[in-house]
Amino acid sequence: MSILEGLKFYAGDTAIHKLDPRVKFLVSMLMLIIVVMYAEVWMLTILIAVQAAIVYVAKVMRRWLKTIKGSMPLAALVFGLNAIFFISTGTYTTLQEVFYHSLALAYRLVLFLSSFSIFFLTTTPEEIGLTLTSWHVPYQYTFAFISAIRFTPIIAQELRDIMDAQRARGVELDRGGPLQRARKFIPILVPLLANALKRAYELAEAMEVKCFGAAKKRTSLMELKARPKDYAVLLTALVFFGLAVYYRLFPF
Amino acid sequence: MIKFDNVTYVYPTGVKALNSVSVEIGRGELVALMGENGAGKTTFIKHLNGLLKPTSGNVYVDGKDTKTLSVAQLSRIVGVVFQNADDMFFLPTVEEEVAFSLRNLGFSEDVVQRRVDWSLKFMELEEYRNRSPFLLSGGEKKRLALAIILAWNPQVIAMDEPTVGQDSMQKEKLKEMIKQLNLQGRTVIISTHDVEFVAELKPRVILMSKGRIIADGKAEFILTDGELLSSCSILMPQVAATMSRLADLGFNAKVISVEEAVRNIVEGLRGLEHTRRA
Repeated sequence: MSILEGLKFYAGDTAIHKLDPRVKFLVSMLMLIIVVMYAEVWMLTILIAVQAAIVYVAKVMRRWLKTIKGSMPLAALVFGLNAIFFISTGTYTTLQEVFYHSLALAYRLVLFLSSFSIFFLTTTPEEIGLTLTSWHVPYQYTFAFISAIRFTPIIAQELRDIMDAQRARGVELDRGGPLQRARKFIPILVPLLANALKRAYELAEAMEVKCFGAAKKRTSLMELKARPKDYAVLLTALVFFGLAVYYRLFPF
Repeated sequence: MIKFDNVTYVYPTGVKALNSVSVEIGRGELVALMGENGAGKTTFIKHLNGLLKPTSGNVYVDGKDTKTLSVAQLSRIVGVVFQNADDMFFLPTVEEEVAFSLRNLGFSEDVVQRRVDWSLKFMELEEYRNRSPFLLSGGEKKRLALAIILAWNPQVIAMDEPTVGQDSMQKEKLKEMIKQLNLQGRTVIISTHDVEFVAELKPRVILMSKGRIIADGKAEFILTDGELLSSCSILMPQVAATMSRLADLGFNAKVISVEEAVRNIVEGLRGLEHTRRA
């Protein structure tokens, strides 16, 4: 569940929080592309070090670490599945190689999530909305996206409450074989889905009451404006990205 | 029956929800857990069936340390009804919802049927047995949640905010059911903000604030102490507030129920009339 903590915005007054959200998004995307390009542990380690430095400046280290911790079960799954795949297909000859490459792929997943986490931890849902709108994404889709972000922590809490309610009536979620365990999730998923639909319906009603979609052209109280500082950050990120691409194409 | 021994609970977020709580609740007691939002009431309730285990200290249920038992084992002794009844329902009919818990807890099929019949009758839900739980009203859903728990006959019943979203008639019904369960010898613990509801039940009141127990005693004493209640953002019940204003005229200020207030006022007025005649 702690993985979802990384999708929640936490107010702050740091240089990272003050950056133009578009720049933050682009930097995150550049990091993601590097993660896709490289499956080498050394490069991924450099990237995570860069991310750690950004996170330190943004003062969200504890929450970022929570995202990383939360991604561990998923990373372990990726590691296990890849190891089985590599061994069964004979892609790599030594166990050492199998271990290294499986680890690199699991590492990639962690970085994938942590890159996104930095963006979401330091950007308000409103700023995300403005970013998408400035790129001409129709507001209906933007609204749906930012609502999804806003409701993620609420649904996570609801999931915890439902699990408690079912455990209180004797459902033992952590007992039995994989199939039995999967079946035990039905009492969790049905109320979760029912509650989510109810919430969606209520939200739709609330939006209608507030005349959502009445005006064809929307205006915004806040306007995004990139400052020299934002361009400098973007330029630095692009230089590093260029170096990463160059090294991928022409390794020394 | 229940013993909290110097219990502290800290959530993973760092919030200390219970702070050195020590309290004992005897068999057959009726207890109201009161306090402002975030006082630690729900955390307290979740310790009763082991959903939460103390960060430090110990909780004993029927003499057993909750750290040594699973939630399913503790649920046989303590049935907890949560605030949002919708969190429980996932089956097509009311009847199946009640039977599901019994089967989980390992009851045989004939016992399941008997218990389902009994609990639906007790909670006045017999006519809805083939209806979808999602189609019940708010009050009926709350009663179904209670029926699900009552079906396996736990010795302790704990309810988290049972009156939220209930109309007056539903509250009245709930109150009568709580009284009956308590008369049958069950320990009943309710966590609530609803002073009027508590006033009519006249339970033992445990008042919590910021994770600590700040008062513990008879409802007549706690719910008539305006200063104490306001420190927990709770207002006195209307009857108590009225009687405290009449205290200067010689009326008993430690009265919280309507019936008692009427008796006191009538007696007081008779006394006044006697004095005037004399």
